Order: sequence, then C-alpha cells, then structure tokens
Amino acid sequence: MTTTTQLPVNDVALSVRDLKTFFYTNKRCNKAVNGVSFEIRKGKTLCIVGESGCGKSVTASAIMQLLPTLSRIEQGEIVYHSERGDIRLDTLERNGKAMRSIRGSEIAMIFQDPMTALNPVFTIGFQIAENLRYHTAMRGRQLMDKAIDLLRSMGIPAPERRVEQFPHQFSGGMRQRAMIAMAMACNPKILIADEPTTALDVTIQAQIFELMATLKREHGTAIMLITHDMGVVAELADDVAVMYMGNIVEAGTVDEVLRRPSHPYTRALLDSVPVLGRGKNQDIRAIPGSTPDPFNRPKGCQFADRCAYKLDACETALPAETHLSPTHRVMCVRHEEFANGVRS
Amino acid sequence: MLAYVIRRVLIMIPMAVAISFLIYLGLDATPGDAVSFMLSPEQMSGANPERLAELREALGLNQPLFVRYFIWLWGLLQGNFGYTLTGGVPISDLLARRLPATLELAAVALVLSTVFGSILGIISALRRGSATDNTLTVVGMVGVSIPEFFFGLVAITVFALNLGWLPVGGRSMPQYITFWDRLPHLVMPSLVLSIMMTAGVMRYARAAMLDALNKDFIKTARSKGLPEWRVNLLHGFRVALTPVVVLIGFRLPALIGGSVIVEQVFQWPGVGSLFVLSVRNQDYPVVMAVALISVVTVLVVSVVIDVLTAIIDPRVRLGN
Repeated sequence: MTTTTQLPVNDVALSVRDLKTFFYTNKRCNKAVNGVSFEIRKGKTLCIVGESGCGKSVTASAIMQLLPTLSRIEQGEIVYHSERGDIRLDTLERNGKAMRSIRGSEIAMIFQDPMTALNPVFTIGFQIAENLRYHTAMRGRQLMDKAIDLLRSMGIPAPERRVEQFPHQFSGGMRQRAMIAMAMACNPKILIADEPTTALDVTIQAQIFELMATLKREHGTAIMLITHDMGVVAELADDVAVMYMGNIVEAGTVDEVLRRPSHPYTRALLDSVPVLGRGKNQDIRAIPGSTPDPFNRPKGCQFADRCAYKLDACETALPAETHLSPTHRVMCVRHEEFANGVRS
Repeated sequence: MLAYVIRRVLIMIPMAVAISFLIYLGLDATPGDAVSFMLSPEQMSGANPERLAELREALGLNQPLFVRYFIWLWGLLQGNFGYTLTGGVPISDLLARRLPATLELAAVALVLSTVFGSILGIISALRRGSATDNTLTVVGMVGVSIPEFFFGLVAITVFALNLGWLPVGGRSMPQYITFWDRLPHLVMPSLVLSIMMTAGVMRYARAAMLDALNKDFIKTARSKGLPEWRVNLLHGFRVALTPVVVLIGFRLPALIGGSVIVEQVFQWPGVGSLFVLSVRNQDYPVVMAVALISVVTVLVVSVVIDVLTAIIDPRVRLGN
C-alpha cells in the first residue's frame, strides 16, 4: 500500500457535499440524487451500493460532468482536491476546457459494458492514444508504444498485435482490460468504475477486480466503485456508502457497515446474499416490494413501505443523519436498536 | 477482399443477362412495333401488307423473340450496341454523346446532395429540438415530397425567365469551349436533381447521427476529456457514416434514372431524354442499351457499396 499522509485534509481526493441532481422530463422532476455527501480517500476504494435506479450512476456522472442535457446539479458541491489546490467541479462548464483537462487525466471512468463503451470503428490503440494525445506531450510513435505498454500492464497477451485490433476482435474480459488501460493511460488520481463487471462472467469479474486492486496498490489510485454485489464490497472496499432512492442511507468503513449494519436496508441487502458453505437450504430473504415511483415518492423515509421495522414516525419526515462514529453514519429513526444488535 | 470483388463481378454477368432478357421480354409484350411508329397512320392504312412485312424482315423484326434477343446479345458481346431503328445511327455514337452529359449532371448532384445533406443532418442532430432542427425537418419533408419537375419549373420561371440570371435549358452552345462556359447551364438542373436526395441524406444523416450520439462510446469519449468537435464529428459521425454511405450508394442509380425528368424539364441532352424518346418510338435497340447501362450501374454500385462499407466499418467482413 502506498503511504498516504496522515493529515485528514490531505487524505481526501474528492469530496461531495449535499449533492442534489434532478432530471426533468415532461415538466416532471425526478430527484435522482437528493442530498448526498461522501468522500473518496486517496488510494482507497469507496464502494457505492444500491439497487438499480437509486442514483449511483447519476452521482458518478455528476462528478465527471457527464450528465444528460435534461438533468442538472441543483445544489451541493463537488470538490476535487488536486495538487494544484481544490477545484469545484460542479461550477465548471460541462464540456469546457477546465473540465476536459481533468477528465481522462486526473479523474477517469470505466463503464458497465465495454462492448458499447468502446467505439467499434477505431482500433484499441487509437482509442488509448487519443487519451494520451490530449493530456500528455506524447506524439506519433510514442503514443502507440505507450498504448502497448498499457495493454501489457493490464495483462493482455501479445499487445503489439492487439493494439491494432478493433473492439469486436476482443473478448469481453479483454475489452474491459483495454477500457481500464484507456482510463489508466494518464495515471489518474481517481478512477470511477460504474459496475465494471456486470456484463462479464464470474471468473472474468474476479480477474478484473484483482487488476483494479493491483492498480490501487501500485499507483495509489483512489477508486469509486459502483456495484450491487455485496461480495465485491467485502472483497475490495475500504469505505462503503449504501444508496437508496437518491440518499445515502448508511455509510462508513467496510467493517462498520458490514459488521454493524445499522439501517434496515443495509441489513436486508446483506440478508439477500447467499453465503458459501451454508448449504443449499439457506434462507435467502428477498427484499419485499419494489422501489417507489420516483415521481411519487413517500414523504418520510423512502424505504418505509418495504421496511419490517417501520414506525409511524418513519412516514412523516425523512430521518436525520446520525453519526454512530466519526465515519459511520446512518439515516434511520431506529438506528440505536440496530446498532445494538437487534435482529428480527 | 480481391477474391470477393472478383466473385461478385463474375456473378454480375449472368444477372445482367437475365435482367436484360426480362426487359427485352417486356418490350416485346408492348403493342405495336418500330414499324408502326416509323410510318404515319395514313401511310400505315394505305400501305401494302407485303411491303410492311418486307420492312419488318429488313429490320429483323420477323424473327422469333429468342433469336432476336441472342442476335442483340451477340452484337453486344462484340462491342456493338447496334443502330437505331428510327435513323440508323450507331447507338454507341449516341451514347458517347449523351452519357457524359448525364454523368456530369448526376456527379454534380451526388456531390452537392452528399455534402449538404450530411452537413445539414449533423447540424440538425447536434441541435436536436431547436428551431434550426425543426426548420430543417420541415424543409426536408417538403424536399422529399414535392416532385422534381415542379422545382424545375419554378426554378426556370424565377431564375431564367423573371430574373434572367441563368439559361432556361440546354447544355452547350457552339461557341462554348471550356467547362466554365457551360457552368451556368449546369446550375439549375443539378440543384433541382439534388434537392430530393439532399433532403433524403439529411433525414438519414440526422437519424444515424442521433443514434450514434446516444451510444455509450460517446460518453466514453467525453470522459477522456476530448473536445466536443472530436466527440461529435470523429466518434459520432464516423459511426453514423456507414448507413449514410449505403443510402447514398443505393440512391445513385435513382439519381441517373431520376435525371429522366430533370433532363426533360431542362432540355438536357443526356441519356434520360434519349430514353424517353426511344421508348416513345419503340426503338428497341436504344431502349435496351440505356436499360442495360442502368442495370449495370445498379449492379456495380451494389458491389462498390459492399466494399466501401467494409472499409468504413471494421466489423463488416466481406465473403461468407
């Protein structure tokens, strides 16, 4: 592990404070991200967990200023703690020069499906070189040499040949490696990975995560990993944030969240994961019901309708955020009971 | 690639023969023949049936269909298109005079419609939902719906008759020497011929571009910090190019065929007006020659499109 300075301020690569991002369709407003705060620590992995539509990907897009045109950051701030000083990403022009110079060089992103995320009509080498061309002084032959080096360091065999091939000539796992090579080309401080293995089979998933762990160790890259796989969280995360309907309902270090889950939703997520070794008759509890309509949200706690521990108080107002420790926070009126180990 | 092209060219030969035979069959089924158009109705009614039979025999019209077809085909294989029935002019001379005019018109219209269609389509897609986009969409609809002869007549009225800027029609005058002398004659016919295709290319380019811009790799390109022009034009349009090229390719024969009307309107001495004239006169050899040219154009263009598509899109593989 790379040595990180102990000062808490210098320890943080990116902080998001009270971020609200809304989508506008047909004069209706979807509050996709409704007041989210978290920090990505340098050289650490933050896993954002939650089911589809909870706002994980929107948060990632907001950081990169890659939101669709019909959505905007309503409130809050995104601060990138760069070597040049703090930069408010949310105030930068969407595709302006300042934002573009950070994208791909200091904050890079990889996507869910590497088949569609790579341009089918350009070679892998061209697509990696493009990133280098815009962020480094490298030109001509150097670009291809560097692309070959990158592919080799991502564990792609015969990179000299592969660099001239097109995405469709790569297998799924190889494509995601190429995608990571592209993202890592300029040695970014932060890598945002939006469900990078959802489109891959399980053995390849493990290889990709291993590769990401290596990158974090060797380059000190901070990783924001979006996933809905609790197993991945246990394996890779340093910090965890659990999202539900645009809020972080629980966040903390991986130990705090996995060992002392204090929000019913976190506990429900953990209960819905099969555990290896418990046999085929183990009780896997699915979370009842489905997520509420984003245009017709419950007034109080968003999870109340599906929660086994619901009180009347849950339906009147969104519960306040409470800190159980300096790092562990939760949004639930009954958090004390859960923190003390009440089981259903 | 080369093997594929050779194979496709070889397949083209029997196809061209089969299609030309079908056209021959169709022509034969039409009532009357060349003789009935060579003579006026008065002459016809007063003519000696034996004289008519002699005339038919002299022109080879009394032979069975197959024999006539193969005589025509045999002559063609020897590079002889035959002679017009109505004047005895060698058809190859006729084509040598007429074909360049049509090709000139079609080429200019093709370039104009490709360039303008693509540019307008890209603008429309990039400013989706804006006033510019809506205006272009409406103009595009109008462009594809109104027939060419109407635009032609309006253009002649306005620019030739009222304003007097451009000549009414024709292609050349005896005193013209260079291409620049003829250019004013080319402006209206080529613009009118390109209107419909420009509108078609524009609508297609817009759709293909919007489709490409919605793809994930556009987001990837932005996430790499590339400037917007590169994201849109390199990553977006490069992918949108494939369907646009296919459309333009398949419209090319239509452009040559479509010139029939425009050539009539502007008195353009091309193959189109020749075709109309020879159909009217039931001049089989000429009709066959012109039909064969358009058949071969379609066949050649389809091979060219396949090769172009394979060059543009690396996912496309030629052959099996």
